[in-house]
Amino acid sequence: MNTAVLTDIRPTTGDRITKFALGLRGFVIPVLALVAWQLASQQGAVQAYVFVPLDGVFKSLIEHFADGEIPINWLASLGRTASGFAIGGLLGVSLGALMATFRPVDVLVNPIYQAVRQVPLLGYIPLISLWFGNGEPSKLLIISLAAFYPTVLNTYEGLKHIDARHVAVGRIFLASRWQTFRHIVLPGALPSVFTGLMQAVAFTWLSSVGSELFFNPGPGLGNMMANGQAAFRMEVVLLAVIIIGVTGYVTNLIVSKIADRVLRWRNVR
Amino acid sequence: MAFETPSPTAKLSIQSLSKNYVIDQKALRVLLNIDLDVHEGEFVSIVGRSGCGKSTLLRLVSGLENDYSGTIQLDGKVINAPSLDRGMIFQDPSLLPWMTVRENVAFALVNQNIPKAEKDKRVLDLIDLVGLKGFESAYPKELSGGMAQRAAIARALVSQPKVLLLDEPLGALDALTRLRLQNELQRIWLQHRMTMIMVTHDVEEAVYLGDRVVIMDPEPGRIRRIVDVPLPHPRDRASPVLHAIRDEVLKDLTNGVVI
Repeated sequence: MNTAVLTDIRPTTGDRITKFALGLRGFVIPVLALVAWQLASQQGAVQAYVFVPLDGVFKSLIEHFADGEIPINWLASLGRTASGFAIGGLLGVSLGALMATFRPVDVLVNPIYQAVRQVPLLGYIPLISLWFGNGEPSKLLIISLAAFYPTVLNTYEGLKHIDARHVAVGRIFLASRWQTFRHIVLPGALPSVFTGLMQAVAFTWLSSVGSELFFNPGPGLGNMMANGQAAFRMEVVLLAVIIIGVTGYVTNLIVSKIADRVLRWRNVR
Repeated sequence: MAFETPSPTAKLSIQSLSKNYVIDQKALRVLLNIDLDVHEGEFVSIVGRSGCGKSTLLRLVSGLENDYSGTIQLDGKVINAPSLDRGMIFQDPSLLPWMTVRENVAFALVNQNIPKAEKDKRVLDLIDLVGLKGFESAYPKELSGGMAQRAAIARALVSQPKVLLLDEPLGALDALTRLRLQNELQRIWLQHRMTMIMVTHDVEEAVYLGDRVVIMDPEPGRIRRIVDVPLPHPRDRASPVLHAIRDEVLKDLTNGVVI
């Protein structure tokens, strides 16, 4: 191989500064919005109620962290999301796998699944509150469903579309049923399963906050928001929105990093 | 280099082999009355136009398909399922993308009771043999087409098959890589002296590597003629005898029509 003409492509200090500066581009719009917000809050008393001054929001952040309101509600929402993700994800992957493996299950369950899936989760809230009440079980059900739908679909699709050439390789080398599953079917379906799990992470977090807004009792960021609104404390509402956004962003980032690591063999074009 | 001792080889015997596919309730004759004996350690090339059933013939010998009439025997034993006696290489390397080169080659021994130390040694020896040393931990996406096909060759050889079946193994490669891998195949064959049957579109390749070249006709697929290539290996590409045989095969394939 000829390596003599290859140029040195290691990043220089200048490259690093450029990269850092480019990375800051994502902050341009938020900073502009904050400046506009701050200006709006200084226009009068009414504006100061709707657009809480930023120093007020920051003060309230410190205050409610110290008195435990933020940690309690934040952890409650996170815990609820994690439980729903675990329940819905586990059931979803299992049902998707059963449907892909056993034809009778596919024939019996697939049409119902496709029909039920057409109704948005919010559409089930009246029914669910009628059947299961206003409390924790109803919230958990909504969140579990949010994890269930995408994992069923993507597990099913992943298992149904295993490359025939890879299956032939298994046959040629006399792989047993278990070996074929372990070395060919499972890894072949994994990218699709991960797509489902990543959607589930995003949907569960959204539906967790949503269900807290619709069903009343218990701590959670959604409740914190609702209570803040009821008490005319806009800075609390704003805080909840920011915490929800940042948490969702960070969890998605973590999950996609895990996927990149587990699926590092994947050819991303 | 490993495997100085020649691998065991086998004699393949095909008698009045016919094969039909049923498409839209109509029988399509793919192979008709194929008779072919391949001797131990022989290199047989099969050429023919698209649709002459040459790939199907190879799939039947591999045991991937087993619905046929007539007999296919390896050392007197009827073939009706895949076996590690017969290694197979496709045009597409068909490596498992989630396995490294080393894991892919080792996968050929997935269901074999071989001590781990010996398994590891055989795998590494073959990676070395096909010239992929240093790429043991690479994933298929990191390999060029030629390197991926080398890995597939190593995987087909690691179970020490008696017969190696090659279905247009170099068809997807660029011209230079192709020439290089033809030489590699010849070197491996000389070293192991296993029986090899290769289907190809490339007449030059068929003549350069084969002891005999089987010319097939399409619709239904049948043997038109078998041409001997009475030259010792390794061969000289520039040999006038080789060129004369190539021209003859080409002429026969095109029914004397000059292209």
